Amino acid sequence: MPRPVWSGTISFGLVAIPVKLFNATSKKSVSFNQLDERTMSRIRYRKVSDDSGDEVPDEHIIKGFEVSKGRYVVVDPDELEPFIPAATRSVDLEEFVDLGEIDPVYFDNAYYVAPDANPKPYVLLARAMEEAGKVAIARFVMRNKQHTAAIRAQDGKLMMSTLAYADEVVDPGSIDELAGLEDVDVSAKEVKMAESLVASLTDHFAPEKYHDDYRDQVLDLIAKKAAGEDFELPEATTEKPKIVDLMAALEASVEAAKTARGRHPTGREKAAKAKKSA
Amino acid sequence: MAANDVTTEVDGHVLSLSNLDKVLYPSGFTKGEVIDYHARIAPAYLTHLRGRALTFRRYPNGTESQGFFEKRCPGHRPDWVAVALGPGDRKGGIEYCCVEDRATLVWAGNMAALEIHAPMALAVDLDTPRAVVFDFDPGPDTDIGDCSQIALEVRDILAAVDLEGCCKTSGSKGLQLYVPVNTPGLTHDHAAQFALACGQVLEKRLPKRVTTTMAKAARPGKVFIDWSQNAFHKTTIAPYSLRARSEPTVSTPVSWDEVEACADGDVELRFLAGEVVERVAEHGDLFEPVATLEQLLPG
Repeated sequence: MPRPVWSGTISFGLVAIPVKLFNATSKKSVSFNQLDERTMSRIRYRKVSDDSGDEVPDEHIIKGFEVSKGRYVVVDPDELEPFIPAATRSVDLEEFVDLGEIDPVYFDNAYYVAPDANPKPYVLLARAMEEAGKVAIARFVMRNKQHTAAIRAQDGKLMMSTLAYADEVVDPGSIDELAGLEDVDVSAKEVKMAESLVASLTDHFAPEKYHDDYRDQVLDLIAKKAAGEDFELPEATTEKPKIVDLMAALEASVEAAKTARGRHPTGREKAAKAKKSA
Repeated sequence: MAANDVTTEVDGHVLSLSNLDKVLYPSGFTKGEVIDYHARIAPAYLTHLRGRALTFRRYPNGTESQGFFEKRCPGHRPDWVAVALGPGDRKGGIEYCCVEDRATLVWAGNMAALEIHAPMALAVDLDTPRAVVFDFDPGPDTDIGDCSQIALEVRDILAAVDLEGCCKTSGSKGLQLYVPVNTPGLTHDHAAQFALACGQVLEKRLPKRVTTTMAKAARPGKVFIDWSQNAFHKTTIAPYSLRARSEPTVSTPVSWDEVEACADGDVELRFLAGEVVERVAEHGDLFEPVATLEQLLPG
């Protein structure tokens, strides 16, 4: 069972709603250890001095901020202490906005918000927000960091996503490659073709359709190697969609279906087809 | 895009087809074959779909699973798929899909919209049905043969007032008779009352074999003449539409000769997708008069 990553209260007017946060996603990348191929020994990092190459014990390691090349301002942990936001254990709802107003670039980590103890005020808040179709913007402190978050209600449950700060979002104007796009000439026909392709690929978002194929293949490779099996390296393929004629596209599939069925509703058509392809 | 998706161009429209090999019918008929049928039958099928606010019945997980009716045209439709306002819900009119071209039929097939249900009226004039429909629904211990016998009786009544009609199988168990009107002034109410009146004549003449009352439809030995299909908000399975059954049966236009043969028990009117394509190649669209013939109902 997942463990809460934070607990506290949502403050909403005069109401305090005790809640716990759980991670809503868990990263699933494959991680490798580094080894010495000669001995299979694990590789370890050591903190060494850039000057001497000697290992530096922890008690001599301090924090410095590089203000210009080679110039550091040294900051003592005690000096930072007053700035660390008080761990108030409170999620303060600041305002309610429409979800669509929040650009996805702001969304950071997702959490489930679960009631701690009496679920009634939680359920009330979730229902009210779902009914209003609004998202709450909240501020809270987690792991010594002040976060802004969006809390939304979905199917009677509350979900929270921490949000990036506005000045953390990179200004697209700082990327040269993004400049001058509005001056590129495209014909109405090209646009129509592109729109038509987009329309043809338009579907409802079904996240379960998508998998990290790389991870699956790597894990498969590892499982086979662990079991002592040979593993044939598949050829790397790069596919580009090509547009094929409708009847040509269907022919193979239809033929395969008929073969699989072993007969066709009309024997005549099957016979005619067989002659044609022979 | 999944590996088995294919991007294709149909009459200038690019669209992506997915899961062509997916079996949608217990008989093994796949989505690729559904699309293939739609593409081949399009010329005849479209005649009876164009200009109408259509209801799709979709079976993305096959005909053995619960399909769903889709009145509101999906928001993710390509922009070349036309929509039209049709009978709405409490919130007002609904934007239905229109199937105006072959590409849209292919798109519908790709969505596993196996059944397409059409109203009697065109979307531009929802209040004016283009035809009167008699829906013959076989009760227990009756079949399409009984429906055919009753359809022939209705034909005689129609002939007495100089009207012609065309029959099609429902693709399920029953038979439907359409009386083309295609003239201004017909109302849904008039169409329903006309069908009811014809039905009641037969009900009187053949009380053991015909009913026009929904409540008696389940009684053994009777064919229910469902005249209420002519109501404003009702749709009927479109001619040439697939049905979601164990095999890809089609609501198939049939000739009066075939109806007579079926009434005599000589043939069973049941056609699968491939056969229907061949029938149209051979005989043309037997339902064509329903789209073109102009007639006037008495009264």
